Amino acid sequence: MAECPHLEYRETAGEQTFETARAYCAVADEFVQPMRADICTGRYGLAPSEDCEIYREAAADR
Amino acid sequence: MNASYHDGEPAVVTAALTGGVHGKEANPNLPETPAEIGEAAAACELAGASVVHLHARRENGERAFSTDRFQQVADAVREATDDVILQHSTGGTAAPEDRRIEPLRTDPPPEMASLDMGPLNRYDHLTSENTRAFVDRLHGEMRERGITPELEVFNDGHLNETLAFLDRADTTDPPYLNLIFGGGTTSPPSPRRLLAHLDDVPDRAEVNVIGFGPHQLPVTTTSLLVGGHARVGLEDNCYYRRGEPATSNAQLVERTAEIAEQLGRPVATTAETRSILGL
Ligand code: SF4
Repeated sequence: MAECPHLEYRETAGEQTFETARAYCAVADEFVQPMRADICTGRYGLAPSEDCEIYREAAADR
Repeated sequence: MNASYHDGEPAVVTAALTGGVHGKEANPNLPETPAEIGEAAAACELAGASVVHLHARRENGERAFSTDRFQQVADAVREATDDVILQHSTGGTAAPEDRRIEPLRTDPPPEMASLDMGPLNRYDHLTSENTRAFVDRLHGEMRERGITPELEVFNDGHLNETLAFLDRADTTDPPYLNLIFGGGTTSPPSPRRLLAHLDDVPDRAEVNVIGFGPHQLPVTTTSLLVGGHARVGLEDNCYYRRGEPATSNAQLVERTAEIAEQLGRPVATTAETRSILGL
């Protein structure tokens, strides 16, 4: 898996607004930390299905 | 380390402006672009910081390790500040080792860089390994470029690693250790634990202290009392006090500078910091 299917780029969510669209997790319903965004984007060989507990919990709940 | 506030030695205040974990989603005042980081560095220098600890980010706030991006950040900081000392981060959970060396390769190189002394966990599935071989590789490149390492001691185990490193490495004198307190893999935060760590630090070393989140103020203040130095900033703590987000990095630096002065520790100028740390 490369990029996570739950990843979106948004400028606004709730009361938060940014000039540049940022990584947003549709499962957690919040903007993600920049370090975690490297997992969401599959950068450096990271994989949401292996490295992200939010992805794994969502998959297990299905 | 064998000092205390009695000695009235200048205190080195470092501002950790950006970091590599959270970003504007945690506090919109955290600087991410080169221009924002330059501006924040200038405000922190005015407030009393003699060292700025730097990370680089992409335009969307995500982490960047390239020499190019660090060059843009360093240029912006040099342009905006008078004489502040630049310390580049070489930390980077999950980033390939070759990437983590890139921040050392700016022109000119930074005067200082961070060197993580052992493994640490991030989230539930990541570990920043920081093997001994990689610590030595990073350190070797720092010394080739005349960069002074700040040895990042995240816990007691890293203190052992650091003592062994000081035995094997031809490093700078005095060694500069940064003791880190908070949650996760870092040392459990308490003034007592900080004092215990100091028992194991070589007398010739200089000591800086970080406390994450609500521990920033208590452990950095303890450090100032016992003759150590202090790092504050939005990388380590997004709040001024419980429930009140910090308005800027400079706000946190100002408070620490004022506490240092009140405790009889004059805040070190950049010249004094260069002399204390042998830069
Ligand atoms: S936080 Fe996890 S689940 Fe959410 S987008 Fe990123 S990788 Fe996917």
